[in-house]
Amino acid sequence: MAEIRIEELGSKFEHFELQEISETIPRGQITAIVGRNGSGKSTLLRMLGRLARPEQGRIHYEDVPIGSYSRKEFAQLVSLLSQEKGHVPDITVRELVAYGRAPRQSSFRCRSTQEDERAIDWALATTGIRHNENRLFHTLSGGEQQKARIAMALAQESSVLLLDEPTTYLDLSHQLEIMEMLKSLNRKLNLTIVMVLHDLQQAAAYCDHLIAMEEGRVVASGPPRAIINRRFMLNVFGVIAKVDLRGEYPIIIPIPQPPKEESSMVIVTNVSQITKGSGMLLIERFNKVGKVEGMKGFLGLEVMLTENTKEYDEVTVSTRWESKEDFQAWTKSEAFRESHAHRQTPEYIISNKIVFYDVKVVRKPIEQVENSNAS
Amino acid sequence: MNVTARNNRRRWIGIALVPILIASVLYGIGSGSVSISVSEIWRILFNDGDPAHEAIIWNLRLPRVLVGLLVGACLAASGALLQGVMRNPLADPGIIGVSAGGGLAAVVALVLFPQFGYLLPGFAFGGALLSALVIYLLAWDGGSSPTKIVLAGIAVNALLGGVMNGIMVLNSDRIQSVIPWLAGGLSGRSWPHLQFLLPYAIIGLTLAPFAAKASNLLALGDQSAQSLGQHVELQRFLIVALASLLAGAAVSVAGLVGFVGLIVPHAVRLLIGDDYRYLLPYSIVGGAALMVAADTAARSWFDPIELPAGVLLACLGAPFFLILLKRRRLVR
Repeated sequence: MAEIRIEELGSKFEHFELQEISETIPRGQITAIVGRNGSGKSTLLRMLGRLARPEQGRIHYEDVPIGSYSRKEFAQLVSLLSQEKGHVPDITVRELVAYGRAPRQSSFRCRSTQEDERAIDWALATTGIRHNENRLFHTLSGGEQQKARIAMALAQESSVLLLDEPTTYLDLSHQLEIMEMLKSLNRKLNLTIVMVLHDLQQAAAYCDHLIAMEEGRVVASGPPRAIINRRFMLNVFGVIAKVDLRGEYPIIIPIPQPPKEESSMVIVTNVSQITKGSGMLLIERFNKVGKVEGMKGFLGLEVMLTENTKEYDEVTVSTRWESKEDFQAWTKSEAFRESHAHRQTPEYIISNKIVFYDVKVVRKPIEQVENSNAS
Repeated sequence: MNVTARNNRRRWIGIALVPILIASVLYGIGSGSVSISVSEIWRILFNDGDPAHEAIIWNLRLPRVLVGLLVGACLAASGALLQGVMRNPLADPGIIGVSAGGGLAAVVALVLFPQFGYLLPGFAFGGALLSALVIYLLAWDGGSSPTKIVLAGIAVNALLGGVMNGIMVLNSDRIQSVIPWLAGGLSGRSWPHLQFLLPYAIIGLTLAPFAAKASNLLALGDQSAQSLGQHVELQRFLIVALASLLAGAAVSVAGLVGFVGLIVPHAVRLLIGDDYRYLLPYSIVGGAALMVAADTAARSWFDPIELPAGVLLACLGAPFFLILLKRRRLVR
């Protein structure tokens, strides 16, 4: 049964576009929205939380269009924990959690009712921060602060909890603690949780449902076991990885690839046809030229002698340069002119042809993937 | 600092504000070219006393003290609200154009149309509110952002200030009456001014505490406040409107009294933290007491010369403020 239905959602922004998103988010489960930076994950979450309005398409909560809830009704149904780290005044954890009651209070009333107090106590106990309730929020560690924020969202007593990267900036133990806490909230309270997660492994381990996004589109969605595989890793994250499905949840082992190198060079070939048997004479002549090694942009030199054609031999002098300008600088240099100045073209040269090649060199290492039955 | 220390500090400062306010009122009524003792003030206010002193108190000092209380309270409340809603600790009523708009309107009234001088408060009030509205509209782009309001405020302030200076330079023979007004003070303020100010001050100061909760939630950030079911745009507009009303009313009778709106809420914030449920009332009382004390000091210390209170506030307020900033870790 669907708690949240997204139909043909689309929206244009300055640098990117959300396109044709149709998804259902299952009730009482943990859903993670994953994808690369800039794929539109947070934008989608913001639309689910009514912080941004889509240009096209509809979102339904419980079959009711998102727009037909009043602000307070919506905040009673959906809590959203954004990444925004606004200024929390120097208030205690309990006072912060009490802010979560705002959707259920009048805008002016500051005192809480018994019902509010009960909900605050419950939120503090559920997140396991009762012992901190009288501490000032800003004296807590990052992980404890995040728990207090989650408690504030819980105090809203909503049935849907949206979180934007709840574990970012936390150390690993706090990350796991928060994820464990969310999982137990989901199991105990049947809370529907939707979160944007950067860490795919965490998403795979803790979530029931994944929505993978790429350039504003949903490219895959479903249970982690069903959708995470080698192809998924390559398509969605551009990462080559081994996926081990033998355990409780998919284990993703990224295989680092040496970076692709790209460079360009100019190859200049000077092909001379030479009377049969005189090839070595010309090569000796080239050997005397010298000094080319010191030139700027010089990458290398090869001399090739072909003696197997019938009428003539062929000598190819191939020089490699970073750019055409570098080669031209060589032809204008003192050393070059000196070597060519007082010599006449020897008779044994029948013809001579100079060719420039602009060459793009791409060194792409061969994928190092262990072949495994699991992948 | 733990929660007990914070609560104690809140309580003691709250308790201390009451005698401070009373002392500054008594100082305001008792001091001046003729000193009147506390017991005599009591007799004059509630029984009978020396007729000459009675006249001084009823006609000069009491109305001036009352105007001072309201002006200080309005400016401090306005500053506190703006600092919160702009998420900028340096915001003061000047930032939303109240000072520049009121100032320009006053210069126009006093220099170009001196025959309508009696309309000055109304004129200045209108100018202040108008320029605040213009800034808000300029900063609107499908929604308001505090940063844009601050930037639009700077631009509009510069423009209005330029026009004001232009008028003053072109009419340099007639600006004598404007200068004290621009410096800000309560010299010669009496019952008619109180009458003008009172309704706006009552409305504004009554409404201000109701903005406490919204201000606290807005401080968390727009998205967080919205997720808690708050109508962020509407609240921001109402709070800015309320702050404009408060500051505009104060500026229209007292001229450009600077600093109260910036320094009082900031000082209170450094002492007791930035929970608006406390910050607003404490700022209101603190602002009232400071304004009266500063005005009284400005007129009695240099007797027979009467200094504008704004001058004294700036000269004493700035160093005090710097000391507070140095000791910033008071709360955090």
